[in-house]
Amino acid sequence: MTDPSRPAIIRGVQIRKHFGGIAATDGVDFDVLEGDLVGLIGPNGSGKTTLINILTGHLAAESGDVFLRDRRMTARPPHEFAAHGVGRTFQLTQLFGRMTVLENMLVPGLTRPHSTWASATEQARRHLAFLNLEHLSGLEAKNLSGGQQKLLELGRALMLDPAVLFLDEPFAGVHPKLREELIKRILQLHESGRTFVVVDHDMESILRIAGRLVVMARGRKIADGPPAAVREDQTVLAAYSGF
Amino acid sequence: MRGLPTYLLASLVLAGLVYAHGFNSYWMHVTIIAMFYAILAASWTLLSGYAGLYSLGHMAFASIGAYTSALLIQWTGMPTILGMASGVVFCTVVGAWIGWVCLRMTGPYLAIFTLAFSEIVRIVFSTEDEVTQGMAGLHTVFLFHTDSRIPYFYTAIGLLVFSLAVMGFIVHSRWGLFLRSIREEEQAAAASGVRVAYFRILVFAVASGFAALAGVFYGHYLGILTPSLGSLDLMIIVVVMAVIGGMERIPTAVGGAIGIEFLQEYLRAYGEWRLVIFGLVLLFTMRFARNGLLTPLWLQFVRLGEVRRPVSAAAQAAAAAGEVGPQGSGGS
Repeated sequence: MTDPSRPAIIRGVQIRKHFGGIAATDGVDFDVLEGDLVGLIGPNGSGKTTLINILTGHLAAESGDVFLRDRRMTARPPHEFAAHGVGRTFQLTQLFGRMTVLENMLVPGLTRPHSTWASATEQARRHLAFLNLEHLSGLEAKNLSGGQQKLLELGRALMLDPAVLFLDEPFAGVHPKLREELIKRILQLHESGRTFVVVDHDMESILRIAGRLVVMARGRKIADGPPAAVREDQTVLAAYSGF
Repeated sequence: MRGLPTYLLASLVLAGLVYAHGFNSYWMHVTIIAMFYAILAASWTLLSGYAGLYSLGHMAFASIGAYTSALLIQWTGMPTILGMASGVVFCTVVGAWIGWVCLRMTGPYLAIFTLAFSEIVRIVFSTEDEVTQGMAGLHTVFLFHTDSRIPYFYTAIGLLVFSLAVMGFIVHSRWGLFLRSIREEEQAAAASGVRVAYFRILVFAVASGFAALAGVFYGHYLGILTPSLGSLDLMIIVVVMAVIGGMERIPTAVGGAIGIEFLQEYLRAYGEWRLVIFGLVLLFTMRFARNGLLTPLWLQFVRLGEVRRPVSAAAQAAAAAGEVGPQGSGGS
């Protein structure tokens, strides 16, 4: 689905990846336009995480290309994606457990060109205040609750000042109260101009926030469009039971 | 008083320099060897404690550096200092190469790989006796042409202070933060923009360079080199020193090295039993103080002279707010 008035930030072309003979992604085309808030859904094993791992440099595709604003990034390492404004969180939260909350934020902050300790710390404190984590800045990240860890992971990705943010199952295992907090922050960030791709199984949350829904099944993209239209799609209904 | 711990440590070093003439030759030798181990334990801590790269090949670099320096001086007649510098540079390059080869290895795989590398180096130095004199030992040029140990003592202090200054600068810079992030979660570090491969190679190179620095000094201090410098026995001693002291901080690893070396000498009368004692201390450390026996002491020490401000009511309330509620309530 393309919109000529908005340029694509990231574009995957005919992405193909197999694991032990099983096609995790089977020639998938996927683009994210500036200002999108894409919900990427599909049954377990449909290739969602594989796709975003390839689009963020964490996995090399067997064939196909990845473009970041027309710059070919195929098989480039993840730190180059981060340097060009691709932020992400992980399905299983990956924090620097024995480092403090503030240090977790400083790591991406200090990889930015021309960053200083003072500027990165100031930026980190601002994001921590936005995520309501500032009072925990001196605590080791491993001591945070599950929901707070998800928020910190989001905050750490924000430190890259990303052009696009991939959130892999941000609502999984999060208490409803903190899930609301997370949804509120994602919507606020989107309104301020951030672009998101959110992968999750929590249909209710995804449908509340997504402006565009992409559905995958068996390594293929089977639908892409406004949530209302996708929900009525017969292919989707057949492949993805539950809505 | 801010900086009190720094002043105290500087005073201790200064006192050692001023009163060095009062030490007897035996204890001065023990102190020099303790400083040799301190450089090794500190550099191993940089690699393993900070970056999480558990190498068992550290002594191989000390050995390669020492033999490179000794042989270059023997073959070319170059000045001793130049030979030593060449040994360090060569080992830094070899360390970077090993770091590159092991880029995808972590944990036990890395430990086994580096152990195999270390054994290969030791066996080559043992077998090539036409070049290295094998177990008979390679005679090296002394660094100073004197019977006194004092110049060596001053040099050892200088090298230790230099090593700690460089490594301290690294761990307190953004590089130190990046190394720790690699230790914690390599994938997340990469996603945060950290050039993981670059820093892994860099830390291997730097740590190997310092191991070589200790090795070249050792070689030109004792005047003889044997392949046992790169043996697993010595590697285990360095690991034990760092672990007992505290392998996540360079000062505690250095304290562990100096403490264990002196303890080894004090307990010499107990023969092999002293190794059993060290084994028990190691077991105690792993069971009750995984961060090392010296870490709590060091944390107290660095806070000396700090003015403790009372925690404000607002901060207490904020902290409490984070500690209660459905998530973070301590239920899990």
